[in-house]
This record gives sequence, C-alpha cells and structure tokens, in this order.
Amino acid sequence: MKSYKKIAVLLTALGIMGVSGCKKVLDQTPKSNVTPDVLASAGGVIGGITGVYSDLRNLWGTEGFLYYTNFGVDETLAGGGASNGGVAFATYKNYTNNVSDVYNALGGVFNIAYQDINTLNGVLQYGPAAFADVPTRTAYLAQAKFLRAFYYFHLVQTFGAVPLHTTFINTATLSDSRAPVADIYAQIIKDLTEASTELQNKPGDNGSPFAGHAATKATALYLLSKAYLTRGWSSAAQPTDFQNALTTAQTLITNKGTYGVDLYQNYADAYTPANDVTNKEDLFAIEHSTDTKYGDFTPGASGGKINGWAYFFRPNYPTVTANYPTSSGASVMTRDLANGRPFFRVRPNYDYVNNVAFADRTNDYRYWNTFQTTWIANTANVTTPRGSLVVGADTAIWMPPADPGAAKRASFKGVIFLSPSVAATATGTNINPSNTTFFPSLKKFDDPNRPSVNDPSSRPVVLFRFSEIYLIAAEAAFKLNDLATAANMINVLRTRAAFRTTNMPADAVAKMQVSPGQITLDFILDERTRELYGESLRWWDLTRTQSLVRRVKQYNTEAGPNIQDFMTLRPIPQTEINLVTQGPPIPQNPGF
Amino acid sequence: MNWKMLILLLSMSVFSISLYAQTRKLAGTVTDDKGLTLVGATVKLKSGRLATSTDANGKFSISVTTNETAILVTYLGYVDQEVPISASSENITIKLSASARNLNDVIVVGYGTQRKKDVTGAVASVSAASLQEVPAPNVVDQLKGRVAGLDITSTSTTPGAVGQIRLRGERSFATSNTNANNQNGPLFVVDGIPLIGGSLNDINQNDITSVDILKDASAAAIYGSRASGGVIIITTKRGKSGKAVISYDGYYGIGHITDEYPLMDGAQFAAFKRESIAGNSSATSPNSTAYPFTPAELAGIANGTSTDWQKFIFRTAFSTDHQLNISGGNENTQFSISTGFHKEKGVQYGQDFDRGSLRAAIDHTISSRVKVGLTTLQTLTHTNGADLFPLYNTSAISPLTSPYNADGSINLLPMTGSVDQPNRVNPLTIRNPSIQDLNRKLYSFNTLYGEVKIVDGLKYRFNAALTYGQNQGNNYSPVNTTYNTATSPSQTNESVNNTENYTWLLENILTYDKTFGQKHHLTFTGLYSTEKDHSQGLQVYGVGMPADYLQSYNLFLANQVNFSATNQPNFADRGLISYMARVNYAFNERYLVTATVRTDGSSVLDPKHRYYTYPAFAFGWNIDRENFMKNVSFVNSLKLRAGYGVTADQNVSPYQILGNLSSNAYNFGSNGQNGYLVTNLSSSLKFEHTNNYNLGVDFGLFNDRLTGSVDVYQQKTYDILQVQSLPPSNGAGSTTVNAGNSKGKGLEISLSSINIRSSNGFSWSTDFNIAFARNSIVSLHDNLKADITNGWFVGQPFNVIYDYKKIGIWQTSEAAQAAVYGQRPGQIKVQDVNNDGKINASDLQILGSYQPDYTGGITNRFTFKGFDLSLVTFARMGQKVAVTYLGSDSGAQGYPFFNQGRVNQINVNYWTPTNPTNDFPRPDANLSGATYASTLQYRDGSFIKMRSINFGYTFSGESMKKAGFRSLHIYATCTNPFIIYSPLVKSGLAVDPEGNGFGNQIAGASSFSTDALGRAVTVGLNNPMVRTFQLGVNAKF
Repeated sequence: MKSYKKIAVLLTALGIMGVSGCKKVLDQTPKSNVTPDVLASAGGVIGGITGVYSDLRNLWGTEGFLYYTNFGVDETLAGGGASNGGVAFATYKNYTNNVSDVYNALGGVFNIAYQDINTLNGVLQYGPAAFADVPTRTAYLAQAKFLRAFYYFHLVQTFGAVPLHTTFINTATLSDSRAPVADIYAQIIKDLTEASTELQNKPGDNGSPFAGHAATKATALYLLSKAYLTRGWSSAAQPTDFQNALTTAQTLITNKGTYGVDLYQNYADAYTPANDVTNKEDLFAIEHSTDTKYGDFTPGASGGKINGWAYFFRPNYPTVTANYPTSSGASVMTRDLANGRPFFRVRPNYDYVNNVAFADRTNDYRYWNTFQTTWIANTANVTTPRGSLVVGADTAIWMPPADPGAAKRASFKGVIFLSPSVAATATGTNINPSNTTFFPSLKKFDDPNRPSVNDPSSRPVVLFRFSEIYLIAAEAAFKLNDLATAANMINVLRTRAAFRTTNMPADAVAKMQVSPGQITLDFILDERTRELYGESLRWWDLTRTQSLVRRVKQYNTEAGPNIQDFMTLRPIPQTEINLVTQGPPIPQNPGF
Repeated sequence: MNWKMLILLLSMSVFSISLYAQTRKLAGTVTDDKGLTLVGATVKLKSGRLATSTDANGKFSISVTTNETAILVTYLGYVDQEVPISASSENITIKLSASARNLNDVIVVGYGTQRKKDVTGAVASVSAASLQEVPAPNVVDQLKGRVAGLDITSTSTTPGAVGQIRLRGERSFATSNTNANNQNGPLFVVDGIPLIGGSLNDINQNDITSVDILKDASAAAIYGSRASGGVIIITTKRGKSGKAVISYDGYYGIGHITDEYPLMDGAQFAAFKRESIAGNSSATSPNSTAYPFTPAELAGIANGTSTDWQKFIFRTAFSTDHQLNISGGNENTQFSISTGFHKEKGVQYGQDFDRGSLRAAIDHTISSRVKVGLTTLQTLTHTNGADLFPLYNTSAISPLTSPYNADGSINLLPMTGSVDQPNRVNPLTIRNPSIQDLNRKLYSFNTLYGEVKIVDGLKYRFNAALTYGQNQGNNYSPVNTTYNTATSPSQTNESVNNTENYTWLLENILTYDKTFGQKHHLTFTGLYSTEKDHSQGLQVYGVGMPADYLQSYNLFLANQVNFSATNQPNFADRGLISYMARVNYAFNERYLVTATVRTDGSSVLDPKHRYYTYPAFAFGWNIDRENFMKNVSFVNSLKLRAGYGVTADQNVSPYQILGNLSSNAYNFGSNGQNGYLVTNLSSSLKFEHTNNYNLGVDFGLFNDRLTGSVDVYQQKTYDILQVQSLPPSNGAGSTTVNAGNSKGKGLEISLSSINIRSSNGFSWSTDFNIAFARNSIVSLHDNLKADITNGWFVGQPFNVIYDYKKIGIWQTSEAAQAAVYGQRPGQIKVQDVNNDGKINASDLQILGSYQPDYTGGITNRFTFKGFDLSLVTFARMGQKVAVTYLGSDSGAQGYPFFNQGRVNQINVNYWTPTNPTNDFPRPDANLSGATYASTLQYRDGSFIKMRSINFGYTFSGESMKKAGFRSLHIYATCTNPFIIYSPLVKSGLAVDPEGNGFGNQIAGASSFSTDALGRAVTVGLNNPMVRTFQLGVNAKF
C-alpha cells in the first residue's frame, strides 16, 4: 500500500507538472527563416539588393526570356529546337494563350519584376535606419533606386501602363490599377537622376560589396539617357527628352575615364572570355560563376537560373551526316566544348543578316566576329563522298554567307550549307539550304571554359555595353535633326568595326565612314544589328522607334504575315488580370 | 445505497437457486473458423447464471444444470454464437466466425472505449483478422476498399509507399498535393497518442489488434483541431493473463510488374519517325527532321533490331516477413513482446525496403486502485531507391538501338549521333552498386500511463508520450549512369540529410463512470493536455567524389559542398494546449446521449485567434430494446444514431503568419553575398472549422447473420485556410488566408452477411461496403466564382479538369476549317465553345473531376473444414484520371509526347493521311509537343480490381499438438491478381488505372504544381503495379 501511495503522489505531481506546462508552448520564435523586419538592418539592405541581382538570373540568360527578347524581330528566326511557346513569340501566333507553356516568359518577367520592386521598396523605406554613415547609406540605397528604375523601364517598354508602386507592400491586396505611362517615366527618370549622382564611380568603390559588374554612375547615366530617348519617342514625350538623352550620353562619354569605361580597339575584345572580369565596355551585367551557391551553378543544367546564351544560338552540328542530306553515314562532328551544346533555339534571319545588315563583310569585320561559319573536323574516320576528313585540319561543316562557287564546293570535303535564297539559285554539287537546325552560329557568347560540354555558361550576361551609348546618342541626335553629330557618333563604332588583327584592308576605315546624309532611322537600326546582333535588345529597339511592324513585315517571312499594329506592346499577363478581383479590373492592352 | 444491496441480494438468490438444480461440468474448446483456438472467449450460460472464459488453450469448463438449454459464446471480433446443449453434450467444440462488426465489440472512441452498442457516432472498426487477409507492408495498404467512406488511392508503387487517404472526401483548399494531404488527410492515433512525425510504415501491421475509424464530427470532435479529416485509431496488442503464448507469423513472396508500358517496338518507332518527317509542319523545312535516324538506328532498321528497354530495369521482386510475439501474464501483470522483420526487394533495380521492429507492452496492477503500464515501440527502416525514376529515360531510348555492343560490353550511349546522346544513358547502368538513394529511419514511440481509482467510479489517468523520429538520408549518383549523365568523375552528385522530430504529450484524464438506479449510466471524461512537436533538419549537397565506393559518407572529400536553396536547413516548433469534456449518458441502454466540448490553443495561428472551442452532440436509440420490438424476432439489434459536431484545422506552417523572405545568393565578381526577397506577406490566421451532421442506423438481422450500418452525412467547412494567389503586382505571389467555404455530403453503406453456414462445415460470408461522397466548393476568397490559377470553381469538386475539349482530329476534308484556327489536318481539334473562330482562354471548360462517383469493396470468405479462402475486391468508379505520359508537353513538364519524333512513344493510334483516326494527332518533326496535347491525357479512371486472393489451410488433430503447435495455419496469397474492369487498361494505353504519383511525374517537372492536375493522383511513367505471390504461415506454440 505504501508503494501505491508513492506512485499516486508521483502521478499527481507529474499531472500537475503537465498542467503547469504553461502557455509557453504557444509562443512562436522562428529560427530558420527571415521575416521582413530584417530590411531595417545593414545586412537586410545589402541582402535585399543582392536578392534582386540574383533574381535577374531568372530572366536574362534563360530560355523563356530568350524567346521574349530575341524572337519576333527582323534579325532572327526561331530555331528547330524552340518550344511551342518560343515559336509563338517568333511568329506572333497564339502567343498570348499558351496557358500550358512553361516558357511563357511574360508571366515570369512581370512576377519577378514586382517581387523585386517590392523588396527594393522595402529597402528604400526601412534602409535609412540601417546605416549611420551617410555616404555609405546613399551609395547603397542608390543601388535600389537604380534597380527599381531598371525594372520599371523594362515594364513600361514591354507592357505600357503598369501598376506603379514606390512604397513597401506588407499586407496583401487584391486591387491594383495601371498608372499612366507619364507617371512611370517620371519615376524612372527621378530614380535614375538620383542614382547617377549617388552610385559608386566604379564597382566595389570604398569597400562596397557591390563589386564585379554591379551598377555604377555610368550604368545609371546609360539608362537615364536611354529612358529619355525612349520617352521622347513615346506618347509621354517631353520636348526636352531627345536633348536630355544626347546630353546624358555625352556626359557618360566625356567622363568615361572617371568611370573606367571605354571602347576596345578590337570589337572582338569586348566579347572574349579573357576580358570578362575587367571588360571596360561592360556597363552592367548579370554575373554567373561555377560556384554552386553564389553562382547558382548546376552541372548540365538547361533550366533555372542559368546563362544559356552559350547554348541557344548553336546549330545542331553533331547531327550533320557525312552523306548529308541523306541521313546515312557517320556524323561529321561530335559535340565538344569548343563548339558547344547545340540547342538551336535561335537562327539568323539570313536574308536580312547577310544581305542587308552585314552586306559589307569586306570592310566591316563585325560579321566574322559575330558568327561562326566553319566547324573543324573533330571526329575520326569520317568520309564524305568528297573525301576523308582529317581531324583538326579539315573543315567538316561550312556555312559561308555567300556562294563560294561550284568548283570550290565540289572540291570541299565537308558539308556546305548556304542560306536558302542562295542555295535556290546555286548550281553544281554540295549545296544544302540552311534550315531550322543547321545555320551559322552566334559566337559572341561562347564559353569554352565550361567544366563540361553540357554545362551552362558562367560568363557574365552583359545587358548594357558602352558601345551602345554611341548608338543612343546618334538616335537622339537624329531625332534632333543633328545628323552631323549622329554620323560622328556612329563613325566611332564603324571605325572600330573595321579593325582586325591581320589582313585589314588599308582603306577599310575610310570606307566605313558615313556622312550625315546617310543617316536614316533604318541605317541606325541596321547599325544596331551590326553592333549588337542577338543581345536581347532588338524587340525594344524596334518598338521604341516605332519600326517593329514595318520591319518585321519587310524582313521576317515567318512573322510578317501575322504581326499586327497592336503587337508593339505585350499583353498584360492573364494572372494579373484574373487576380485583381477588387475594385476596377485591370484592362488588357488593346487587341489581345 | 439501497440499489446496491438489492443487486447483492438478487445475485445471492440466483446462486442459491442454482444450488438446488442438478449440475455437471461441461467442457469444450472455442476456436475461430480456421480452427485456431481462441483464448479468453466468454462462455456464458443462456440463463445468465454463470460465465467463464477460455484458457490459454481455448478450453473452458463450466457447471451446467440439467435445465440449461444453451450456452452463449462471445469473443471480440467474432459473431456471438448460441450453442444448444443437452444433457449428453460433452467436450464440444465451438467455432466462431469472424465479424468486423459486432455490437458487443469494444470500440476505441478516443480517450476511452465504448461497446459498439453504446456508440453514438459514425465509427467503423476493422479487426486484425480482416487486415491480415491482405499481406501488405503497412496498414494503409491493408485498409484499401475495406471501410465505407475511407478512400485510399495508390500514389506510388515503390516499396514502402503509403497511399493517399481521404475519409469522406476533401474539405480544404490546398495548392499542392503535400498541403492537400496535410489538410485533408485523417489524424492517426496509436494507442491514444497522435502519430506526429511518424509514418504508418513505422507501425508493424502485425502488432495491430484493431483499427477504429471515427468518421463523423460527433465522434471525432474530441480530437478537435486535427480531426477534420477524420480520425483513425490504431490499437496495438497487449498481453492477457494466462500461460504465455508464442506466435510466429511469416511469409515469403515474389512479385512481378503486372505489365510493361505499351511502348512502340523497333518497326513501329521507325514508322513513327518517318511519319513525323512526312508530317513536318515547318513552312521552311517540310519533309525534314532535326532528329534523323542515327547510324546505329539505321543499322537497327536494316537488321531488325527491336530492343525492349523496359526489361532492363525491372526484375523479380521478393518480400519476406517474420513476426514473433510472446504474450501472457498473471492477474497483476500482463505483457506482450514482439519482434518483426520485413524485407522487400522491389521490382526495380535499386529499390529496397526493410523494417525491423521491437515492441513491448506491459500492464501492471499495483493494487486495486493503481495500475501502470508502458508501451514502447522501436522501428528501424531502410528505404532505398524511392526517388529513383529510370523509366522515363529508359522508355525514351530508341528501340532500334542495342543494349550491348558487338563485343558484349554495355552500349553506354545508345543514342550516339543524336542530340539526345548524352541524356539517354543505357538503363543497365541503374544496376551500378554505388548508386545510393537511401533513407534510414529510426522511430521510437513510447507511452507510459498511470491510473488511479480515486473513489468508486472516478478514475484519474495520466498519459505521457514521447516519440522520436530520425531520418538519415544518403544519396549518391555516380557519373555515366541514367541518374547522372555527366561524364567527368568530378561531377558525381552526393548529399546527406538528417532530419529529426520529436513530440511530447502530457495528458491528464479524469473519468467518472457510474450507473445510477440501474437504468442511468453516466460517463464523464475530462481532459487537459499539452503537446509540443518539434522538427529540424539539415541537408548538405556535394559535387564530385574521388571514388565511387565512398558514396556520400564523407562529404569533406567532395570537390564542392553546399546547401540547397530549395531544401534549406529548417527548424519548426508547434504547440497545442487542449481542454476537453465529454458526457455519455445512457438510459436503460435504450437512449444514449453524448455531449462533448473541446478547446484547442494552437501556436501557429494569430495570437488573437489562437483558441477555438468545438461542441459536439450525438443521440442514439437502441430500438431493439423497446418493448414493441420484442416480437420482431428477426431483428437482433437496431440502433438509430444522430450527431452534430464541429472539428477544425490549423494546418499552416509554423511562423507563416509572420511573413517570410526567401533567400538566394549572388556573386559580385568574386564577392559572394547572400540575398533576400520578400516573397510571403504576413497574414492573420485563425482556425478553419467543419460542421458535420450525421444520421446513421446500425442493425443486426437474422441472428446477426446480416449486420450493417447505413450513414448519411452532410458537412460544411468554413474559414478554409488557403493559399490565396495575389496579383503579381503585389510583389508576392501568394499569401495564406481564411476564406471560402466548402460542403460535402454522402451516403455510406456497410453490410456483413453470413450467406451460408452449413452443417458440413462450409461457410461463406461477405463484407460489402459502398460510399458515395460529393464535395464541392461553396465559395472562394473575395467572392470569386473561379480561381483559375489554382483550379477552383464554385459548385465544383476541389480537383477538376479545366482545359480545352478535344473533339477529334482535323481530317483532310476539314483543312479549310482547320486553317481558320491556324491548324492543319492531323492536329488536335478542340471545341471552340463561343464559336468566335479563335481558340483562347474563353474556350477552356471543365471536363470532369478526379472525384469518384462511388467507392466500394467486397470481401468474400469461404471456409470448409480446414480450408479458408478470401477474396478482396475494391472499386473506384466514375472519376477521371490524367494519364500524363499521353499528353504532356515537351521539356521539363513531363514525358515529351511525340516531341518531334525524338523519343520512343506509347504505341498509340496516331493520325496519318491514310489512317484518319480521331484518337491521336499526327507526329510532327517540327513541334516539340502536339498543340493541345494536354487534352489527350484525360481518361476514364473507373476500375474494379481484385485486391487479393488468400487461400489457407489450418492443421488440426493430435499430431499437431504432439509437434508442439497450439495451432498452425498456412496460406498462399496473390495480391493484385487481376483487374476486373478498367476502360483505361482495356484501351491499351496504360497498365493500371490506379495512380502512381502526383501531377506530372517526371523528375524535373516544375510547372503545374498549384493547379488541380498538380494535386491529383495521376497515372504517369512510374513503376507499374506489382503482382505478388506469397506463401505464409501462422503458428502458435
């Protein structure tokens, strides 16, 4: 009986302990996740800005974004490997309603932009409390201003009027409205004007964590100039816009020494991997590295936050057979690091590229610096009907921009592809029309330093190049009817374009010069292709200059029949329209 | 206390009467219908004067008087039997037949037990004997098709997989299948303790004595905030006093996939590829392909190669199971100790599962007032290969290529010469012994109780439970394998993860149980409990290992070690404080009333709304006890039940209401920085709750040869915790809110009948159940009629198909009409609902639902002499199923159906100019996926399946006893022997109509996670169903 009493006492004690186990059980203390109040700390400000930089990797460099930035213009056509959604962007067919297409980039850019803008608004709202040191605070917060303007500029060019938020949203709402285009531009210009005086001169100045290819005063000046230029063309145009665009561009050019930016003598040097770290033409880039964490690097990845620019423009060279066009015989090439992973998502629009933009390939060396047209044999024991290919010596595939002639073709051991219009009129043997699979490759983004042939590139994805500021200035001057300044600006680039390390024609530089009388809008646009082919700018260059529909109809046989006047804006993503359920609905852009 | 004295006097007088009659001893044995002796069966004289119970050998001896006409034999889980006796009756053997439903059975109702007779809620019970008719690795598999309203869907066929469980359908909006399971799945309670952090795989199914399922809220409300998905109570074995019984149960089995996927053979694939070239829709390069036959394929066409790649990944599975239990005890102490071992080698190379378990249950009565006890269970499981899915890569490889080179070596890259060369590694590489996808789990479940009788009828019980689970994951993917197509040794992938969780629970229960004035039976139960659930985990990933044999055991040796942004280390605590009171009142065993009230406080909700109180009421009427029923002799029992109750749900992640920043990282040059983005906005959340009405009737007719229940119910769920998608311009994609209502109603019928019980020993009994459940959305957040992003529509079930409607294939004669839609003959024709000549979002429509019209099951049991045969059948009818490999688009979303003729395909009837079918579109070398391909995947998912056939024999006779056996039963079982009805399987497009995963099942699938398809159980390219054959033995010593 004694023992049972003891046990009874013990049980009662335990029970009471349980009762008094107190309300602490209901307390919440997170230990593995971060809540929004962190934005009021120095780590939160730097982290918030870093988070936005990292988020950019979801856009430029990815496949979905490629379609949206490079398709449906005059200079490119879809490659055979493009997804249905990609083809929709390329042809303006069904491209708003691909509800089931993962590559529907429009939803992606919209979501990411506003997610980043809200984080930046949080940084700008709570960040001032985080720093005692005013210069540090000013320079860091200027990053947020720049990035916010960067996103709004991209949104307004793409979608027109969009919601404009400049304060942090911490409580969800189901209502929103599209702000006038003029208000959005005003905010962009305000943010960029401030950022262009507050940002660091050079990346990493004064121990700033924003090193590498982060935004600087030069970046802000470039974007401010382009924002003025774009607004000048737009419905929200101010009378001073083109002059401001030109002045801002000239400010950047004048102070290039201060900002450590300049043109290389050789166009190719602006694109060589050797210069990636210190590229002086690079004003702003999204960085990548082979680090799994900081570089978001995954071996063999083709999706996610990758730089796929080294994949997308490559033809499917490993499937060219020795007896092409019949599929018999061995493949003449094997996939390797030098020639890259063939994704064939984008191909050049040959007739425009070869015959219009790069018609002069003698004096202007940019064609040869832009395209790979030869593939050197890398596979043993390959014999075509014209002979055996010697590894490392013979050219296995050749895609000349013009017909080399029947005799040369007959004696060429490898396989020749010509642009379809040239192939149609050529006679003799070894004539194959380029198609969606086999076409000259864009080589500016090649990355032979990848660990493995299927790995994504870890080169920076350059968004703004210093050379473009001359084209911006030229376009502004053209709109101000100052054709002399426009010609001067363009000639800076054309002089450089003539340069090559060997066999440069003596009169090349002279022949490249243009006179004020030659400056037209189309000339400027063609010059943009020559200078910046494939750099994810074209659709906005054409929409800004109100040339998209005209030039697509003129040059792009696949998209021309489908494009309509209203397609100079993209449709507001349907999710935004569907989910604004309180207050007035969000109207769709006309025509969609 | 006059009435007490009265009872005493009465019982004394009974005894005194018996003294006058002539008495003799009647001995006998009680066995089950297989001849196994039953220990502890109650044997009662019909006159009610005397009762005894069978001993450890199933034997009894009782004094009978000459005027006694019969004895009544009862045993938990068996049909009561009345045995006529005469003066000459001697040493009789009484066979009891098993019954899932017996009104004298004790039902576990949560914080106590009740006789079935006294239960007022909708409660279903399944006995261990029924469960064992389906030898399966876990109890969920065993319950399939056995209980009306308990819908269990297969979600995987990998060893150790647990299916999706829904009791009376779904109630809550969930954006992913994981959330759907958390919010709509039932609460499992093992021996009174909620099973948190454990899986049903951790419970050895042989340790279970019964499973009780609380279906309606009047019963489940006492589990309050976790009971809205119903409660499944598992009771495990405890010892009984008597001589120790040693039992051994074991089986050995083999298994095969039921069938391979119907892929094209070499000639069919060659024809398909040629057709994709002929069907090239490109304006610029017609009659061409970017994916021509490779030299190896051309050689394969020339010499008739047709490789069935699937056969290289599947093998003969085997499983073996051994269980040893010893139980016994004396009046004061009872014990049951057991150990078990289960091992399965899966049908896919690299998939294995094993489990070892130790269990002990001890009850000790210290004195007439104090009792203590302990249950402790330890399990160690290894699951290997559960996340390895080689089938997609295997099925994509061209059948025109060969698995081996001419010299007999493995043809590592069969697709050499094509763009797919590096991605399609020979599936023979999955047999690489270094491949590791191992999860080891240690689970420990311990409860301790002490019980004190304070005064007569008043009892205090203290329960303390501590459970601990630890998962150790080790993964390694060597290069040059299907799972890691990289070729450089520096690109091996490895990872380790360690997660642990523990739960402690303290319960104080006060029970008062008293009968007043003979007719008034009152039970009061009061509870105060506190619970804390903790979990934390750490995952580390590596790239590159110096040698394959190291696998993932020393990540320091990896070239790179990192954490994953999508699988970060985590920490979470949640707490629950509960108060509960319940009163059961029975008047004269006729009228029963139950009233319950419970209050829960939860840590994860807004402090302003963290407490919630649930009432529940239920009434029962044992009509059979009424005088007017006395003459209705065919009715043995009849009870009417009516109940109303409220349950709730607090299933949100801890800390969610605080808002959350996601993290990422970036390199500014060589300067690595961590980044944060505001991706979740803060919110204020309260309990979601469900109001439930249930009306039921239980009956036993014709001497209980026909027993059953019919229940109808209606439920409404309010303030549903749901992820609300936000306009992207908010800056965050979603937040969690309390919004929207749903409703459900249903009808459930369960019947058990003894169809034949002949004197020659033949008997046939049947259990039948059928359930009709209809759930629908009543309102969405912000009065929306439809939330298209998440696939929710007012008036519709939770998971519906919303897509274009395929109405055929454009035929050659319809070319002009097709052109209006930018299409051409051979492409899928979808309905232009508004006839505006455009196919756009306004043409999307609801095409059906994943909710079945009804579910049910039939179990038939036959016994004859020593033989027994049981057949378990179950059905789900009327639901749609998405067969994702028929419709997925290209790339990351799923199986690249058609995909430019690049990969091998399901052998479908596709359109060609000479085969103008309306089944499948024309292959097109220009398109990565057929336009509107998603419309091809929706199929009739109805099926009736034979779940298992179990044939056994029980040895009897003296020879067995001499050999030392108390009983011996051997059996042979076939699970998944055949499909009785399935239009999908009949169409030749699938192997099995049951699901084997969620949404698009191919590894790397990224989209569709939030819509209905992402939540639905789908038929994808995953392991086919396995048919097993087992031989087993149950022996008692």
